[in-house]
Amino acid sequence: MLGFYKGLLYLYPAAYRREYAAEMISVFRDAHADISGATYCDRLSFRMRETFGLLTGAAQEHLRVLCGDSSLTPLTRFNIRPEFRFPRSTVILMLVVLSGVLLTVEKARVVQSKYGPVYVSMWPSLAWFLGFVLLVTFAAAACLWGILFALGQTGTQRLANLEPGTNLKD
Amino acid sequence: MEPIALTEPVFLVLLSLAEQPRHGYSILKDVERMSDGRVKLSTGTLYGALRRLLDQDWIERVEEDEAPRDRRPYRLTSRGRRNLQAEIERMRRLTKVAALRIARKEV
Repeated sequence: MLGFYKGLLYLYPAAYRREYAAEMISVFRDAHADISGATYCDRLSFRMRETFGLLTGAAQEHLRVLCGDSSLTPLTRFNIRPEFRFPRSTVILMLVVLSGVLLTVEKARVVQSKYGPVYVSMWPSLAWFLGFVLLVTFAAAACLWGILFALGQTGTQRLANLEPGTNLKD
Repeated sequence: MEPIALTEPVFLVLLSLAEQPRHGYSILKDVERMSDGRVKLSTGTLYGALRRLLDQDWIERVEEDEAPRDRRPYRLTSRGRRNLQAEIERMRRLTKVAALRIARKEV
């Protein structure tokens, strides 16, 4: 197991390995000695935990090196504000959309198996159709944003009106 | 004040170092003991947390001439201690509110 552990350490960036690998191996060796008399399940759980910990740790360190951003693995929990959470109805709506897509795919498959493949090019009309859909969508979004802006309810306006650091009342 | 609401592993690591400087294995065992065996950190998670805490100057290495390279102890900095105290205060207030709410519900 120690050989496997040392092998997994090579997944970390070289600078991280130079700094922490010796300590990590030492801690792992002690922890492994502790678990040697434990049950098979405990030993398996230990091995899985260590493997998963190294894989996720290595991925995080590479991301940090690539992005140069420690906020990817923050020390603090992300505190989501309840008023900005998606409503539960969003989940239902997404499920309805997914069901619609699956039903459409299934229907298309039935039609194709019934009438055979159709060799008519659909691309010219599809381009116009997509353009029209995009235009309508942008127009609808612009109207909606205008209404929200007039009501002072756009995202930026709501954020600007927030009171920072609201305390709990005893 | 810095943003609080620490992740549980980070909170337990800081709590472990609040008492005395410790090296990696000692932190690992202390965290397990404090959480009654519920939180078992892997070495990858532990050293990921220690690296971030060092980067943000919440902890520091204790420079000891006789300490071997693979058993270097860590201790809280004053900044780390301040943030830990803020987190404990936040939790204390939250549990107080929770206890009041539960008591009201039971009456």
